Amino acid sequence: MGENYKFDTLSLHAGHIPDKETGSRAVPIYQTTSYVFKNTQEAASLYNMEVGGHLYTRISNPTVAALEQRLAALEGGASAVACSSGMAAMHLVVSTICSSGDHIVASSKMYGANINLLQHTMPRFGINTDFVNPNDPDAIEKAIRPNTKMVFGEVIGNPGLDIMDVPAISEICKRKNVPLVLDATFNTPYLMQPFKYGANIVIHSLTKWLGGHGIAIGGAVVNGGNFDWGDKEKFPTISGPHFALNGISFWEEFGPSALIAKIRAEGMYNFGPSLSPTNAFYLMQGIETLPLRMKKHIENTHEMLDFLQNHEEVAWVKHPDLETHPDYKIAKRILPKGSGSIIVFGIKGGREAGQVFIESVQLASHLANVGDAKTLLIHPGSTTHSHLSSEAMKEGGLTDDMIRLSVGLEDINDIKKDFEKGFRAVKKLGARC
Amino acid sequence: MLINFKGAKTYIGTGGKNLDNSKTTICFIHGAGQNHLSFIQQSRFFANKGYSVIVPDMPGHGLSEGKPCKSIKEIAKWVYDLLKTLDVNNIIILGHSQGCLVALELNRLYPSFLNGVIFVAGSNEIPVNQFLLDLSLSDEQKASNLMVTWGHGIDGDMSINNWPGHSHYGEGNNVMKMNKPKSLNCDLNACNNYKDGIDAAKSIDIPALAVLAKNDQMTPLKSGQKFVELIKKCETHVLDCGHFLQTERPKVLNSLILSYLLKL
Repeated sequence: MGENYKFDTLSLHAGHIPDKETGSRAVPIYQTTSYVFKNTQEAASLYNMEVGGHLYTRISNPTVAALEQRLAALEGGASAVACSSGMAAMHLVVSTICSSGDHIVASSKMYGANINLLQHTMPRFGINTDFVNPNDPDAIEKAIRPNTKMVFGEVIGNPGLDIMDVPAISEICKRKNVPLVLDATFNTPYLMQPFKYGANIVIHSLTKWLGGHGIAIGGAVVNGGNFDWGDKEKFPTISGPHFALNGISFWEEFGPSALIAKIRAEGMYNFGPSLSPTNAFYLMQGIETLPLRMKKHIENTHEMLDFLQNHEEVAWVKHPDLETHPDYKIAKRILPKGSGSIIVFGIKGGREAGQVFIESVQLASHLANVGDAKTLLIHPGSTTHSHLSSEAMKEGGLTDDMIRLSVGLEDINDIKKDFEKGFRAVKKLGARC
Repeated sequence: MLINFKGAKTYIGTGGKNLDNSKTTICFIHGAGQNHLSFIQQSRFFANKGYSVIVPDMPGHGLSEGKPCKSIKEIAKWVYDLLKTLDVNNIIILGHSQGCLVALELNRLYPSFLNGVIFVAGSNEIPVNQFLLDLSLSDEQKASNLMVTWGHGIDGDMSINNWPGHSHYGEGNNVMKMNKPKSLNCDLNACNNYKDGIDAAKSIDIPALAVLAKNDQMTPLKSGQKFVELIKKCETHVLDCGHFLQTERPKVLNSLILSYLLKL
């Protein structure tokens, strides 16, 4: 009691104690769609959100809840909701907070799908976004309008690895009474807990480092519980009357957890982006070893930074832990354990050399994911960001020769040897030319 | 609902239902540093079970404005005036922690005003150590965090919650942050200085319910057990959890309260 367990312990235990009836040490997989009500009164209580409990797996499930409570504990948040993917989490946040006529200020240097959602999909529903350089707090402040309902960015940008100055931006958001929503996928709560720096809502693609093994897609919204939604004019979806439940105000009824209660009552209920219990179990297995994996990811990343910086076939290397990175100082301040295990680098010889390199390595896998225990590579210009124009790519800090490396947990010498194979093939290409 | 009471905007939770004076009223009194959100899983539950529910945020707490009351007696008078203003009848008072001292004092000051009294994690006294009193002035946030940690049993430590996805610690810390600065120090001093609990407990003539917690570090079980012995007629239950029974064991607690109410 009153133990205040540390991060490594919470990674293993939060959200679950051994099952009292069966003694099950592992979190059981409750592979069920629904739950038998003890009586009609209990059913009514659950529908009315009078007490906690499970009604239908589209809205909540005991296995998924264990994952949610583990995430809330690891982030130091008030509550969390897990969902089918990181993009589902993003959509849940936008659609819960914003309505037609509302405005968002977002980072211009983000994951392609995040940009797509805000730039192309949401405007069809009357929600418009201004994209601003995430390293420019003044520009962010200037972009905030009276109808701005959130500022959104990525702690570590994908794939440009720009670092948001979270403390500075959160101060602006606080002053302007706008929630700061951060995609914290690349840092995970092990490297940085955004609520400690004033962020209000965190979203995750659990598919990446948190899950860590490339076996299950999942996402989560974690609510800091530190935002005052009381302005009914500005945040009517949270503090104004709900369309059901006798017109309650979620802010008045659920306080710090109003956002998550609303997401469950509306987003999960009406859109249905639920996470399967089995995937929740897989993701929790990953989280159990998150601290160990992140340490090794960072260790291997720093080794690879040395290796790549000193390699004659490499044109440039970018990582926020390098002094040459424009956000090095911010990274040191808010990500002291390391700035993640993604490295972007350019190969001498441009686009063709990049392709040859990727096709010549054997151990590193060429695929559209990051944060796996295994080393992964991709060429963003021809895959994840291929839908963007050259100008938009440039704005996002991308170049044709850029390779995104997600450093895995293999023996570092094996990764280096594998890369040498790729570089030898590039060299041969150069000799032929 | 927000009302203007004694010159200050005062928030009163009603469990999402309109107040109905014709029904039996349960008035929930929150503990030190808390507000109406202490009773998330009771207010809506009882409002939907045919009771009129009143969960006031004390002055300077939660969504209420005004200066925090400085003594248990002052809070009890404030609650009495509020209930009179709202013109409610057949009143059952439910206190949690400091709220139990308020319930005791309310019954002592206004005999025959209450029809029932429920003590959750209660005692006739809540002495507060000097370290916490000092900390609540010098670093209110740290004092709040410590209280949230001490206040929960293993469910708090392990983030076990019947409300899917909720964290006791994360939620508890933010509930306390909603209160006005220095309100916690006011509350803790009010608890520490309250000395009329023994007489107040002995003067209870109505049937009472006490629900105590086995692992309560804020109002220890031993103290609660001594307290209930002072009350003439008190049905007592001990649950296996920490100080925050309302969120740690909401279903059992609600069912004990409901069964007590049905017997009145």
